[in-house]
Amino acid sequence: MTMPTRQLPMLCLLLWLLPGLAMAQTDTGPVHRDHIEVELIAATTSVQPGSTLHAGLRLLPDPGWHTYWKNPGDSGLPTRIHWTLPEGIQASGIDWPYPEAIPFAHLINYGYEGEHLLPVTLQIPDTLEAGDRVVLQAKAEWLVCEEICIPGDARLQLSLPVEMSPPARNEHTAPLFEWAEQRRPGPVDWPARFTTEGGRLNVLIGPDQFLPQEPRRWAVFVAEDNLVDHSRPADIHINNDQIRVTQPLSPFAAEVPDALRLVLVDIDNARAYALSAAGETFTTDANEAPHPLPDHQTGWLVALLLALVGGMLLNLMPCVFPVLSIKAMSLVAGTGHDQRLHGLAYTAGVVLSFAVLAALLLGLRASGEAIGWGFQLQSPLFVGVLVYLLFALGLSLSGVFDFGTRIMGLGQGLTRHSGLSGSFYTGILACVVASPCTAPFMGTALGVAVLMPWPMAMGIFLALGVGLALPMLALSFSPRLARAMPRPGPWMETFKQAMAFPLYLAVVWLLWVLARQTDANALAVILTGMVLLAFALWLVGRPAGGTGTRLLRHALVGLGLGLAAMALITVAQIEAEPRVQAEAHWEPWSADRLEALRADPQRAVLVNMTADWCVTCLVNERVALNTETVREALNTHQVSYLKGDWTRRDPAITAYLAEHGRNGVPLYVLYPREGGDPQLLPQVLTPALVVQALESL
Amino acid sequence: MKHPSFRLLLAIALLLGLTIPAFAAPRVGEPAPDFSVVDTAGNTHSLADYRGQMVVLEWTNHECPFVIKHYQPGNMQNQQRLARETHDAVWLTVISSKPGSQGHVSAARADELTQSREAYPSAVLLDESGDMGRAYDARVTPHMYIIDAEGILRYMGGIDSNPSSNPEDIPEATQYVVAALEDLAAGRDVAQPVTRPYGCTIKY
Repeated sequence: MTMPTRQLPMLCLLLWLLPGLAMAQTDTGPVHRDHIEVELIAATTSVQPGSTLHAGLRLLPDPGWHTYWKNPGDSGLPTRIHWTLPEGIQASGIDWPYPEAIPFAHLINYGYEGEHLLPVTLQIPDTLEAGDRVVLQAKAEWLVCEEICIPGDARLQLSLPVEMSPPARNEHTAPLFEWAEQRRPGPVDWPARFTTEGGRLNVLIGPDQFLPQEPRRWAVFVAEDNLVDHSRPADIHINNDQIRVTQPLSPFAAEVPDALRLVLVDIDNARAYALSAAGETFTTDANEAPHPLPDHQTGWLVALLLALVGGMLLNLMPCVFPVLSIKAMSLVAGTGHDQRLHGLAYTAGVVLSFAVLAALLLGLRASGEAIGWGFQLQSPLFVGVLVYLLFALGLSLSGVFDFGTRIMGLGQGLTRHSGLSGSFYTGILACVVASPCTAPFMGTALGVAVLMPWPMAMGIFLALGVGLALPMLALSFSPRLARAMPRPGPWMETFKQAMAFPLYLAVVWLLWVLARQTDANALAVILTGMVLLAFALWLVGRPAGGTGTRLLRHALVGLGLGLAAMALITVAQIEAEPRVQAEAHWEPWSADRLEALRADPQRAVLVNMTADWCVTCLVNERVALNTETVREALNTHQVSYLKGDWTRRDPAITAYLAEHGRNGVPLYVLYPREGGDPQLLPQVLTPALVVQALESL
Repeated sequence: MKHPSFRLLLAIALLLGLTIPAFAAPRVGEPAPDFSVVDTAGNTHSLADYRGQMVVLEWTNHECPFVIKHYQPGNMQNQQRLARETHDAVWLTVISSKPGSQGHVSAARADELTQSREAYPSAVLLDESGDMGRAYDARVTPHMYIIDAEGILRYMGGIDSNPSSNPEDIPEATQYVVAALEDLAAGRDVAQPVTRPYGCTIKY
């Protein structure tokens, strides 16, 4: 009995080693590893000499877990298969089915969830004989991830009989092979080119007659590893039998391949195409230039919140406050239940108007119009209409006539339901009169909004509307708030008349914008139009006389309004003369001029994109760019200063803004000497900041 | 009735101008983002503290198989020693996993890991807020950065050239951090200043 005792340690060691030995062995059939099951499978139950065999690696990760495509995306590793094959049998590489985009935190991975197959084609030599068995062995290596990742490997084996007859389909594995076949990108030779300029991958596919023509939803997967930033979705544009794909490059992109492999998926028809693009330059159409999207949902939530606050602040704007404060006064006079209805009707009016405006803007953009937020103010006609509207409202408050009072809900018994439509119209009016203020003050925020996918953009606009409506809504719902408002009384008439003056000031500002867009003649015409409008409205406000005088009055009112309208149309057709400034320290911007200046290696260039209706731009020029300090610094450092004026629509400037990921002004770009990368300055400038930037060149 | 003053309007313009914070990766050749993060001993470290010294940043997560790949055979520890002793660099190991998520550790546990793995960092920073990680756009563990004595970012990317989890692949791979440190010591430009970082996603 001594022997076994002495052998016991050895036995223990063997037992301890056994699991390890088992790990190293080769398995037939499914193998279980941490969070995944893997198996070698074939599409048929036998092999035929001199034919091809469809086989592959089946992977079944646990629910919530995934493995990776050949380009794993922002992290992860592709699954690998290392074959050990009998002599004469050749295996192809993996014929990768197109993957899914799997988000994790702020990253995107490309991979597969659920049961999937990585198919491989094997060439079976004709030297095999019936009755033999073919044994295929492979070592599979994968990374299976959920929140954490577990690398795994297994040695797998598949044994099949050799038969001379055509092999029978394996019914068990057929669904997986069908799945893989459906997701197999068919190789196509569509002409395709790509560039990686400006921090983005741009791919131009086509024109090709075989390219699907109808508009479709496409997804694109760049097969090259470590090239694009997968977390920032690709933009896909289709027009004139061409497909244009753009995606920001990864900050860690190191090398650009000679040829770019990518997979295009026609989502509606569940068809995928594999193609290769040659690295070669082509010009990117600026109108289609992609816009960087805010990286995060949180960015959107912050913008949403700011839009809400911004909307509330709009209530204080000189063009809005007079109108709404009077509405608020009349609201207080009503009773509880009706007040609420009025508050809701008003809110509906505001939000609806913003929705219409946003839909118009987004629609125009989608149809390719090169416009940005503030686009309304680029039209002299729209500015003219606003001048008339605000002027008429001012006159009405001054007591010249009381047309506006109906809209503003003044003098209306609020207990009457008919007043509800009045509240609704006040809402629309609030949106319209607020628009000259939204453009200059919210240009930046809304500019960002316009670049978002449309539901998000619409959300921002609606938040702005809700914000604008909120104070009034709160007033209508909270009796305590309403009680805090001053009691109605004779003072209201004085207040109303006083409120006309902020409106007149808003009119002056709009007239100045109009004068800058057009010229002195136009200013004279529009001022004449305003006098005619005032005359017509004054007549409207006169007490009615006999039938004859009434007819005459109608005729005169019609004539006055008609002439005023004609004045407006005339103004809209006057083009601005090119502005020349004698001792300007800047030159007008043009793409050609910029290029010419940049060609000189000794020159640095500062570009300022501005518009007269952009208050931030004007303040920046006043306090920073036009100061003596900055002028001197520009001279000392030999910096050319180019200024682009976006006061009126200018597609070249819109394109330039888009190149820098912007949709509105101001934009300040500093180009260093010797063709270095341009640098963006902040949207709020101080002389020190500009001088420092110039010195650092 | 108060007329909104110009100052107020300007304030609103400024407020609305600052809508969306940039989330940009740092660039090689430009000043590296500053940070201010406490280490396991409670001391605050900022990049400015190390002007005049080279700084290596290593993002880590002790359970990540790719981190284990480099710690288990001692590759990471060797690089830490090389950086600190041969190149007089500061080596900061950073943990950006947020509290409660995988890879987050207490200060005591982090010290214990340093000891048990015989790691040799100058300090282990606990970036629980993830601010430092986001400023560097650190995505995975390990994710490596080298900042020169002037505070300029010189290298960012992976630890080596073979994105696998198998330690046996290390000898064959190009060790990017070692190569970059040698280039910088010799006064050369870093041959491969940007590479693909591979590893486990950081749990911000």
